[in-house]
Amino acid sequence: MTQAVSAISIKGLTKDFSVTLRGVKLRAVDSLNLEVAEGQVYGLLGPNGSGKSTTIKIILGLLDATVGDVRVFGVPANKVEARRNVGYLPEAPYFYRYLSGRELVRFYARVCGVPAATLKSRVDEVIAWVGLSGAADRRVGTYSKGMLQRIGLAQALVHDPKLIVLDEPTAGVDPVGSAEMCDLILKLKQQGKTVLITSHLLAQIEDVCDRVAILDRGKLIVEGSVQELVGQRDRQALIVDPLPPAEIEALKGWLAQRGHSLNSVEQPRARLDQLFLSKVSRPGRPGDKSAGVGSNEVPISDKPKA
Amino acid sequence: MSVASVPFSFGRLGLIAGNTFLEAVRQKLFLFLVLITLGLVLSVLFLLTFNFGSSELKFIADFGFGALTFFGSALTIATTAQLFFSEIENRTALTLLAKPIWRAEFVFGKFLGVFAVIGVFCALTIGTTIALLMVREGQILAAATDEFEARSLIAYGDLLVVGLLQWLKFGVLTAIVLLIASFSNTNLFTVVTGFFVLVICHLQYLARDQWSNVDNILLSGAVRALSFIFPNFQLFNLADEIGQGSGVSGEVALRVAGYGLVYIAVIGGLAVYSFRNREI
Repeated sequence: MTQAVSAISIKGLTKDFSVTLRGVKLRAVDSLNLEVAEGQVYGLLGPNGSGKSTTIKIILGLLDATVGDVRVFGVPANKVEARRNVGYLPEAPYFYRYLSGRELVRFYARVCGVPAATLKSRVDEVIAWVGLSGAADRRVGTYSKGMLQRIGLAQALVHDPKLIVLDEPTAGVDPVGSAEMCDLILKLKQQGKTVLITSHLLAQIEDVCDRVAILDRGKLIVEGSVQELVGQRDRQALIVDPLPPAEIEALKGWLAQRGHSLNSVEQPRARLDQLFLSKVSRPGRPGDKSAGVGSNEVPISDKPKA
Repeated sequence: MSVASVPFSFGRLGLIAGNTFLEAVRQKLFLFLVLITLGLVLSVLFLLTFNFGSSELKFIADFGFGALTFFGSALTIATTAQLFFSEIENRTALTLLAKPIWRAEFVFGKFLGVFAVIGVFCALTIGTTIALLMVREGQILAAATDEFEARSLIAYGDLLVVGLLQWLKFGVLTAIVLLIASFSNTNLFTVVTGFFVLVICHLQYLARDQWSNVDNILLSGAVRALSFIFPNFQLFNLADEIGQGSGVSGEVALRVAGYGLVYIAVIGGLAVYSFRNREI
């Protein structure tokens, strides 16, 4: 019986950077151990400078580990072969501005070895999947930030990788774009993809991630499933219709008779991002092939400057 | 766990080269230098009276090759550094190198892209020079049919050979600038160092001639070693051979071409080695 291989396996990872000519070193990642199982959406959290991006770059073979072993589907991360099954969306992605969205995705598809016979259909499919069919022939230099993130996701997915690494995928994107990115991540999860995501928007991470790890100054502080970490097992909330004060007092008495206590009475609040999304228009839904046009398409006079 | 290997791919190398070429020709610097160079070459028609005693056609050829050498060197250094650092600074290299590609494919792709751009520049400049020479030659032959027995006054084949060698010289310079860029942190450092190396490569023969008379074995050996490290760019300047004696020797041209290709291979290999260890 073969043992299941983790999508990402990090053992004892330490990364030092030389910061002066005298060889003074800065420790960006310190003895990190992580296992990301296949099919999970895994959040890597931490303040700026906590080592998230360094860890991601080591996973992608862009940096070498000072000490430790990092493997992607069992293959050492510094081998070219390890990147065969990885798609990467960098933070605030910059792409070749002179190419159209379609040309860009096609370029990366060819770099990744997508067969010529399926190249066109695969490029069209992935562009439709991120909801940019209507803007695919526009130059990337004219895209808004949300559209850049989505074309970035398209290039990351074009070779159908098993692992997708998203570094701050919603940085600088408005709440509508952020929500759409979350929808896409959940769709990837439904397809059985493994997703490693870093973000400063903790509510967003909570919504989409199965497990999270929190780094601080390069060290792993907390790791576990979202439910384990933020759920309060010794508390329950009951949502009821509005009660007059007398009935609340009666309820308190009823609970007290049974050895329970009513700890607080609050008015439930909708989250601000949910309110925002319910009020603003969302013309096209990403991932919906029928959408046709990029969901961030705006009237010509409002198009972002090149 | 065994996985299929990812072999070095000339297809991916070609893709990166093509993309580099596209990016370069869409830069204003390239267009600017092409226009300046062509303007300079064409301006020779108004400067023929300042031919310093050489024949008129030789003056036109020298003027064309002078423009090619000067602006070609500037274009090679600026374009190579710019195209390399635009990938790093714009973080497009992050996306590209996170794909299953070898760093050697990236470096040689950049080299071939720039080499193709310089090739277009050389072709335009030499083409314009040859066109000017043909027009002027035709006028001279038509005006004095009795004085010339030969139907042609210019060895155009030699001009093309010299042009190709200049292109190859720019290829060596491209490899040198890529090597500097592979470990440099800034575009400016790469450009300035590139120009220094260009001057050294053009003048190294003078130092070698001077120091060959030095008795100190260590010093002499050091200079000899340096002469191997830095290619001698004067070897590529065969323009003076045009129209002299039997013209440009094919054997000499082949040896110079071989010399250039060896330097491109060795310096390119060093650039790949250096870039392989670079943290992006």
